[in-house]
Amino acid sequence: MAANNLLEIRNLKIDVRVTRTKRLSIVDSATLIVEPGQIIGLIGESGSGKTMLCRSLVGTLGRRGAYIASGELVFDGIDLVAAKQSTWSEIRGKRIGYVPQSALAGPNPVMTIGAQLAEAIEQDENFPKVDVEKRAIELLNIVQIRRPETVLKQYQHELSGGMKQRVMIACAIAQQPQLIVADEPTTGLDVTVQAEIMDLLKQIRNDFNTSIILVSHDLPLINEICDDIVVMHAGTTVEKIPSKSIKSSKHPYTIALYNSRIDLVEPKGELKTINGQPPSVGSWPEGCRFSERCDFVTDLCRVKQDLPLISIGNNHQSSCLRYDEIAR
Amino acid sequence: MRIAKFKEWLSLPGGFGIFSGILMLGIMIILGILIPNFGKYKSDAFVGDPFRPPSFQHPFGLDQLGRDVMTRTFSSVGIDLGVAFLGVSIPLIIGTIIGILLGLAKNKYVLSLVGSIIDGINAFPLLIIAVAMLTFLGSGLKSVIIILAITNWARYARISRTRAVVVSKQNYIEAARTLGFSKRRIVLKHIAPNVSSETVAYALSDFILVIVVVSGLSFLGLAAKPPMAEWGSMIADGRAYLAQSWWLVIFPGLALCWSAVSLSFIVEGISRRDRGM
Amino acid sequence: MMRLRDSEAMNIIEAKDVSVTFDSYGDIIKAVDHIDFVLPKGQTIGIVGESGSGKSTFARVLSGLQIPTSGSVTFMGSPIQSGKNTYQGALRKEVQMVFQDPYGSLNPRMRIVKAVAEAIRQHQGLDKKTSTKVALDLLESMGISNLDAQKFPSKLSGGQRQRASVARALSAQPSVLIADEPTSAIDQSAQAQLLGLFNDLIKKGLSIVLVSHDLGVIRYLSDYVYVMKDGIFVEHGKSEEIFNNPKQDYTKKLISSIPGHVIK
Repeated sequence: MAANNLLEIRNLKIDVRVTRTKRLSIVDSATLIVEPGQIIGLIGESGSGKTMLCRSLVGTLGRRGAYIASGELVFDGIDLVAAKQSTWSEIRGKRIGYVPQSALAGPNPVMTIGAQLAEAIEQDENFPKVDVEKRAIELLNIVQIRRPETVLKQYQHELSGGMKQRVMIACAIAQQPQLIVADEPTTGLDVTVQAEIMDLLKQIRNDFNTSIILVSHDLPLINEICDDIVVMHAGTTVEKIPSKSIKSSKHPYTIALYNSRIDLVEPKGELKTINGQPPSVGSWPEGCRFSERCDFVTDLCRVKQDLPLISIGNNHQSSCLRYDEIAR
Repeated sequence: MRIAKFKEWLSLPGGFGIFSGILMLGIMIILGILIPNFGKYKSDAFVGDPFRPPSFQHPFGLDQLGRDVMTRTFSSVGIDLGVAFLGVSIPLIIGTIIGILLGLAKNKYVLSLVGSIIDGINAFPLLIIAVAMLTFLGSGLKSVIIILAITNWARYARISRTRAVVVSKQNYIEAARTLGFSKRRIVLKHIAPNVSSETVAYALSDFILVIVVVSGLSFLGLAAKPPMAEWGSMIADGRAYLAQSWWLVIFPGLALCWSAVSLSFIVEGISRRDRGM
Repeated sequence: MMRLRDSEAMNIIEAKDVSVTFDSYGDIIKAVDHIDFVLPKGQTIGIVGESGSGKSTFARVLSGLQIPTSGSVTFMGSPIQSGKNTYQGALRKEVQMVFQDPYGSLNPRMRIVKAVAEAIRQHQGLDKKTSTKVALDLLESMGISNLDAQKFPSKLSGGQRQRASVARALSAQPSVLIADEPTSAIDQSAQAQLLGLFNDLIKKGLSIVLVSHDLGVIRYLSDYVYVMKDGIFVEHGKSEEIFNNPKQDYTKKLISSIPGHVIK
């Protein structure tokens, strides 16, 4: 493992136990490297495995009958593939923070915001009880919530969507984690709120050198915020590319995602969509899984099983066979 | 082809439960038809010495008056299931209709008046109300059915009213309005089916409860009375002889359990199926 | 009060000084606060606003589902409200609505084809058999196969359900379609399909009111845009103007929040 990498995921395979004998592969080969202080965007359609990958980073795979079948997952020198619960309780919430999707989770409805923050702060058993409230207010200030003393006493239903997410972020950073995993944190929120939350995340990275993995299906958003973009399709990471070089992508899927952006199309103009649907888990085709929807497909693509990420130089990797033939 | 379709239906969540439940219930019902009508003995006939233990001739033995326990046990099927059916279907229909009307009503007075009646009735457990009212109406199976009809509907009305309110706020009801469908059409074709699915589901589990209530009331001597063959009253009569002649109590008891369990399988299977979807 | 745009085009819907006030446990909430609005024939008007802006309430006023506390709405010059009812008689078919939630928009106990056929029977006066055939054709033209049309809503994807809802709305052969956040609950590719569908309808002359918080969708389809906040229109203008040259602070804030968007 390179000395300065915070997180190294290589060829990770995550399977799920469907029945006693039947296994299903959700993530087939994921590779992801994160350095300290980096914001990495993870983009993919439904079924790409990006959510399962996030779960492997907070150790909640077991809850859904999923498990790491093979590959490497090393966080700050610690091997997390076969990590026991005791290892995870030292990492989850303390060194790796998690911000859930805004529409789904959120602060516990029966606890006050103050109680929730206290819970997050007291994850550190040595934290002096007398300072908990002060720290809670400090955290609310970091996430730019006005009148924090009032908010401490409020319940989740009294807050707007944006405020709820800020509270979730406050809980996530309470222990000053080295890495934050944010799974679609702004989906469903208003666009101005989304912009504010994104600025907040950037600021947290700047102030605390926290690395952030931002999962989304929104390419323009990822493009604007993230340093590097990792693209997933049907359980595999197919490309890693610096944000600013997105236009020189060397993978047909990324290119198709980029071209299907609605903000780049003329009003009422022709919308380019990606043909077909992403293949669903359990019915992945042979060869390259994008082959049925790809504009550059050849016969070899449909057949070749092993498609590793090839380094194209300058922090850019693609798993497309024909990467060198793709010109932009 | 049809077997394949059935196997597929079976493999879906809850399929096995529903199938076993129906099978068990079916066995009970068939035996309930065959044995009392085509069996060797009549349920009230004295066919031998009292307290004869189970034998090849009398698989369930004879009771304290020398009557065949098996015949009596299966005669009860028609009574218990039949009364339960009436005690559920009548409240189901009345309660669902009242609930829908209430859910759609706008008049404040109607809402609070009927609402209070419903809440009032629902505050009491069914068995307590039944016992109380039986002292007024006089006991007997007919009274039981009447009582169930005039009180049990409230439970259905509560479910149906809540559901009607929820359904009426759904987008597809608003779409029906913008499409210009008549109120009558909206209520009958769109609201009612989506409300009754819940009340019918409740009815299935209520069925189990009512069977037990009817048997319980009979046990207390308030519903079916001797010489009627009914599980509850058979158990009551046989209680005193439990130690020596267990068959007087155990067989009707098992029949009651069998029926309740089979229905539970069906209800559980259906709820698993709904969740699985 | 904003000045209404001068226009030679005929206005198919006009709203004047519309307010909607709710009384929620003693709190008076002004969801819509004295606004004016026009929908010229054949155009697509976007109403963009964030949550709580009142845009959905206003959309329901336009479609007749919500009676305004004050003000009036006219369709081709005649008021839509008569007594406590809206869009009576032949007027009703003219303005149809598509809702945000694909899951609640269709009767879960009705097969898709039956739901559409029901609407067709109501408005085109055909018998059961013919209306079923017309329904199947209509659904097929929206990319829902005959096989899928026989299914219940729970067996279809969000995108398919939305298209089925549009098909049902079109069965009435309306001149106006009001779409309240039609793309918000469906995924990217279904979104693109639905927008393509709207595009086709626009080409066929349908007038559309598109309500959304998704600026990309508004920009893509609208000719003219109204920006709504706290029950009022803070700004309105041609689509290009709003997106490239916003004048009001709130509009500027909104536009600049779009990832990657550059105000020219």
